[in-house]
Amino acid sequence: MAPDVKEEQRVIVEPSDWELVRKCQTGDVGAFQELAAKYYQKVFMVILGILNHREDALEIAQETFYRAFRKIREFRGGSTFYTWLYRIAVNQCIDFQRRQRRAPAEVREAIDELLYERGEHGTDPYDALEGKEVMSRLLAALNDLTPDHKAVIVLRAVEGLSYKEISEILGCSEGTVMSRLHYARKKLQEKLAHFL
Amino acid sequence: MTMDCESVRRTLGAWLDGEVSEKESREIRAHVEACPSCRAERSRLERLQFVLRAALEEGASKVTFESFWHGIERRISQGRVRHREFWDWLRPVILPRRLAWAIPVTVVCVLAVLFAEQFFFGLGWGPRSNVAAVESIDGHGFNLALLRESETKTTVIWLFEDEDEEEDEPAPEAASTDASL
Ligand SMILES: [Zn+2]
Repeated sequence: MAPDVKEEQRVIVEPSDWELVRKCQTGDVGAFQELAAKYYQKVFMVILGILNHREDALEIAQETFYRAFRKIREFRGGSTFYTWLYRIAVNQCIDFQRRQRRAPAEVREAIDELLYERGEHGTDPYDALEGKEVMSRLLAALNDLTPDHKAVIVLRAVEGLSYKEISEILGCSEGTVMSRLHYARKKLQEKLAHFL
Repeated sequence: MTMDCESVRRTLGAWLDGEVSEKESREIRAHVEACPSCRAERSRLERLQFVLRAALEEGASKVTFESFWHGIERRISQGRVRHREFWDWLRPVILPRRLAWAIPVTVVCVLAVLFAEQFFFGLGWGPRSNVAAVESIDGHGFNLALLRESETKTTVIWLFEDEDEEEDEPAPEAASTDASL
């Protein structure tokens, strides 16, 4: 394996990811399927956190991977594969929200539906009733944040990404990531005051 | 306690995320251990993070990879049918970055056309310059001359009395000569 990409540029990509990316770049759909299997759940969680609507999130998550597949030849290993993937995901969410402004009632219904289903098959790691109530409040409160604030807090919660990685994904400074996180957490805490 | 509660609260989240310097981290830890109020705040932050992750995990857990991949596969095959891949290959070619050479080439072509035009008209090949055009209408007692200059998009309407039959024509002609200079 002698990649034609600059060696120093690809060292920060996980070796296994890089191998798969290289195969994808030659049109290997199977390799892309492996990458998708590895990241689909977290990408879906991030998108769900930003859009707060399951059907939309599913659609956008699939669109994210499809776009990644189409653009994989442009990926040169200058960042981690997942940073690159999350960047596509966040941009897709922002584009989607710009195109489609949902009425607050619709969002409310989507949250309720999500929680109703959770109640049915509930596998909460802690007390089901209490957990359901807190999650309900949290998702509603999350929805009041701007997409930028949602993206920051969700990326941190889902993937535990460093501020540097989040700043790369969102195209802002690490200081901005820190202040957005602080603001978002403060807002969520205010709204969940009696539940946390 | 070297740090006050307010400054600890400001950096508590970043501290939990492991995003503060070692020195700051030591100070915050010392404060949190000694301050029940900031300790409670720390617990709230940790719980918030936990609940958020749990809520999103729960939402994502019902999506199987098979059904998820099916949606991607469908897009890939549809894309192939619609020759989207071809478009993706073509798009970088027509991107400005790749076509940076096209901008100066276009400028040179436009300049060449303009110069050629002037050169040919200078030799008297054309009936009238496009750079400035003069039209005149003869009326009873009045003449109307219209001067159009394409470069600066100037239009001059010229109304003058028909004093002498011989002076009607030269006047617009003179204007035309002036304008093309
Ligand atoms: Zn304190």
